[in-house]
Amino acid sequence: MKMMPSCREITEQASDYLNQDLSPWQRAAFRMHLLMCVYCRRHVKHLGLTVATLGKIAGEEKARENDDIQQIVALIKQQQEEAPEQKGGD
Amino acid sequence: MKQKLPSDDELIPRLLAHDETAYTQVVSAYHGLMVHLARAIVGPAIADEVAQEAWLAVIRALPRFERRSSLKTWILRIVSNTAKTRLRHESRTVSLEDAPASQTNTDPSQFNASGRWASPPTVWHADTPDDLLASQELRACIDAALRALPPLQRAALTLRDMQGLNMESICKVLEVSESNGRVLLHRARNRVHAAIEEFYQR
Repeated sequence: MKMMPSCREITEQASDYLNQDLSPWQRAAFRMHLLMCVYCRRHVKHLGLTVATLGKIAGEEKARENDDIQQIVALIKQQQEEAPEQKGGD
Repeated sequence: MKQKLPSDDELIPRLLAHDETAYTQVVSAYHGLMVHLARAIVGPAIADEVAQEAWLAVIRALPRFERRSSLKTWILRIVSNTAKTRLRHESRTVSLEDAPASQTNTDPSQFNASGRWASPPTVWHADTPDDLLASQELRACIDAALRALPPLQRAALTLRDMQGLNMESICKVLEVSESNGRVLLHRARNRVHAAIEEFYQR
């Protein structure tokens, strides 16, 4: 195995790095590269910021309305009244 | 005000016994997530319909649920399958994944022959998500990038980065291998990243 990943390899591993999915060895080599490469540091920081921004967007979306929940429960009950013994596909 | 959901062990017998409180609890806990997943795969127009259809399939199939995953993962897998089936019906030409998963997603022109940056990444004038989202125009770029993603990539991104599921569950839900799931997420993140990068390059 090579000692140090290239910048291209860093960009390929960056998503797994953020997920903490790299092996300890890969992670050490990844971090070693980041210590020495300002561009890769920037790239990985930006990818992390992208992920955090997606989380922020999701957090802004409103919770489901109560009406929706009641409607689904009513639908489920209706199905059971109509066909209590029905077999479904898995 | 979300109340705590009982464990699967407690919940499943009650659901099988048609306990209405249990239905309400499980629908309250998972319906929002189901709509998000359905939307990621089929788009917003029919996402609610797909989630409803999935609930009915869940209730029908529950007596045969073998507990090889959590109830949550099993329900989401039914949503994913319902949505995929629906997508195939709506447009036969749509590919769920785009290119084969073995190919990497890197733009070769970004790097020189030795694998170093050919031109450096742009400096973003932002340190936090709030900084990025302060620009309406950038927000629109991100939304457009999300809409343009292939359905399975968008599903992986939604479940992981927007809904916080772990990769193992996501791969079970989408019925993809672990490596395939990681590639889907990697590509989706890169595309959103590239949209922001393009914005700052202008």
